[in-house]
Amino acid sequence: MAAPTAPTALDRGPAPVRKPAAARGGRRRPRLAAWIFAGPAAALFALFFAYPLGASLLQSFTSEDAGTTRWVGLDQYRRMFDDPAFLKSLFNTGVILAIQVPVMIGLGLALAVLLNQSWLRFRGTWRAVYFLPAVTTLVAYAVVFQVLLKTDGGLVNQILGALGAGPVDWLNSPTWARVSLIASLTWRWTGYNAVILLAGLQAIGKEQYEAASIDGAGTVTTYLRVILPQLRPVVLFCVITSTIGTLQLFDENYVLTRGGPDDATLTPVVYLYKVGFQQLDFGYAAAIAWVVVALIAAISALQYLVFGRERRR
Amino acid sequence: MSTRPTRRAVLATGLAATASPLLSGCAMGGVGGGGRAPEIDGKADDKGGKVSGKITVWSWDVAAKAMKRLAGDFEQRHPGTTVDVVDIGYDNAYDKITIGLRGGTGLADVLTVEGTHMPRYIANFPAGFYDLMSLGGRYGGDFERAAWHTVTGPGGKLFALPWDIGPCALYYRTDHFRAAGVDPRSLLTWDDYVKAGIRIKKATGHKLIIQDPADKDAGIFPMLLQQQGQHYFKGGRVAVDTPAAVKALTLMKALGDEGLVAYERGWDGLVTGTKEGKAATTPTAAWWTGTLTSEMPELKGRFGVVPLPGFTADSIRTSNVGGSTLAVPAQSKNPRLAWAFIEFLLTRKDNQISMLKREGLFPAYLPALDDPHLSERQDYFDGQRTLDVFARLARNIPPVEYDKDDAKAADIMISAVTGVMLHGRDPRRALGSAAGQLARATGRKRAE
Repeated sequence: MAAPTAPTALDRGPAPVRKPAAARGGRRRPRLAAWIFAGPAAALFALFFAYPLGASLLQSFTSEDAGTTRWVGLDQYRRMFDDPAFLKSLFNTGVILAIQVPVMIGLGLALAVLLNQSWLRFRGTWRAVYFLPAVTTLVAYAVVFQVLLKTDGGLVNQILGALGAGPVDWLNSPTWARVSLIASLTWRWTGYNAVILLAGLQAIGKEQYEAASIDGAGTVTTYLRVILPQLRPVVLFCVITSTIGTLQLFDENYVLTRGGPDDATLTPVVYLYKVGFQQLDFGYAAAIAWVVVALIAAISALQYLVFGRERRR
Repeated sequence: MSTRPTRRAVLATGLAATASPLLSGCAMGGVGGGGRAPEIDGKADDKGGKVSGKITVWSWDVAAKAMKRLAGDFEQRHPGTTVDVVDIGYDNAYDKITIGLRGGTGLADVLTVEGTHMPRYIANFPAGFYDLMSLGGRYGGDFERAAWHTVTGPGGKLFALPWDIGPCALYYRTDHFRAAGVDPRSLLTWDDYVKAGIRIKKATGHKLIIQDPADKDAGIFPMLLQQQGQHYFKGGRVAVDTPAAVKALTLMKALGDEGLVAYERGWDGLVTGTKEGKAATTPTAAWWTGTLTSEMPELKGRFGVVPLPGFTADSIRTSNVGGSTLAVPAQSKNPRLAWAFIEFLLTRKDNQISMLKREGLFPAYLPALDDPHLSERQDYFDGQRTLDVFARLARNIPPVEYDKDDAKAADIMISAVTGVMLHGRDPRRALGSAAGQLARATGRKRAE
């Protein structure tokens, strides 16, 4: 990935001059050697990437019955509008997007700012500790959360009990299952985002803080008016990847609740898995996959337009 | 040094890297298409046919354990053969089998498939298994008829041989019943059962039953349906709002409304809840004995078994939960040996009895039920002849129609059952709307 030196408020001049198109096109044909080097990657890409992609698109226009495949046009896509389970999975995703992503990015930002303080010792250790949940294996994660959130005798309920609050049915009540899912997602991914945001913060030179302080800005103003605007691309990166992650959510809710209870934590991808691999309705599953991709593209583009453009006044 | 990526790069890589696996994960070639189930050539074992070579067998848990044990015996009787039993674990078993059937490659020579799952594989992959009718058809009368029904397909084909079944009865805590002064043999109907539950709760504080309506089977709902002779479809039509279904769900609602249900999550919740004595009864299948004896030996002498309560005083007092079959996928390179092993394992009394004794697998092979072992007193149950209770019930299990869309139905039924038990919805209306939804999702008509 291209990683140009960060333009600061001071040195940002006119946009870098691009070579005219004619000059770029004027090069000779790529040599054989280039193809040999690119060949293996291209072949693997075609085999494991382009072919399945195309096959799944074709499959989404078909239906299977008794081993024979029929072309059904857009029928599989039409089914989604009339499928309460699919609509509910979209609603659940909306709830998570609206609550979990902002909370997580906010926490991640706060954490990144803390980790970036010069007085902080053992910074590497802290960073590793907060990053750890993102690389924890799913099985360990599932077991730990099942034990923590057990209705009877789970650690969380024991603590609540000691404080005089009644036991909460964390994984079996639709509302609390959503809360549990949001909490566990936040636990798993806040550190990951914080580390990315921290990298962005570290790219901002000390002189920026000094300049702001000389101009009479307090700490809060410095962060809100000077630092945050420069962090915008990194925040946008976190928001977009988190949004994509949420739309593709599978692991966490699959291991915690299998999408239940009462479909309260069902997401489109868990539903897709059920439709494809449990109900053997592969055409419909492929159609759902493509709708999820279209949604991801649409929402990401929207976020890009709304939050990304503003800077270029 | 900067690590700030540009927005454009971010957007492009983010999309490409994360969106694509989703699509490719779902795409698999259109293999496994139409066609007919092939037959296994060659003579049957007892008619001079000779087998050789190697097969792989897929199974899980105690079933795998039983097969590993008996594979040695088989190899001794058939020199030159190797039977490799692999425990693939229940959690991934169906994903592996589905992908193997679809891809047309990668499966073992013998597959363990639960009876409830067989119809959806037969419907979706009619050419995916060997037709065993010419070799195994002669055993038709020897197998429990509900189980036999699950392995036979259209056109008189036999896609598997039934292995074990799960005849149902009511396990109860003798101490809880005694403390409340309730005679378990007086529970003739489910109404009696609810009334007894209220008394037991008042006298001992124990609830009556552990349930997880959000579990993959929607609690005891399918068991109650089969007791009344149906599953989710009847003659290919949606049958989830029939009078039988309404009766079943109304009973479950009554249990919930009276506060007789301990809601515990999944299989583990049922096991630990039972171990902790949370509920006085467990209406379930014969294989539950294996779990009781292995997981809670300290409760020896505390359990008894009576037939299930009926929906009327003279109706059928059992049902079926679980039970597996063994099938030979059409991609097997050594179907002769695969069949010989299945035949050895499942059509011999001695092997069936040893699997019942050692692994608690209740045989679908009826001649085995006449064995003296079935009428022995069981120490764990304070000397009660519990196996005899199940053996008698096993012959009365109502056969039901399983359907390729049962998985779809199950998902919808879980919503309906949780809606009624956890959110107080009306059973009739919840089932009515579930039926409509299922009819739309499957393109079927609704049963009258």
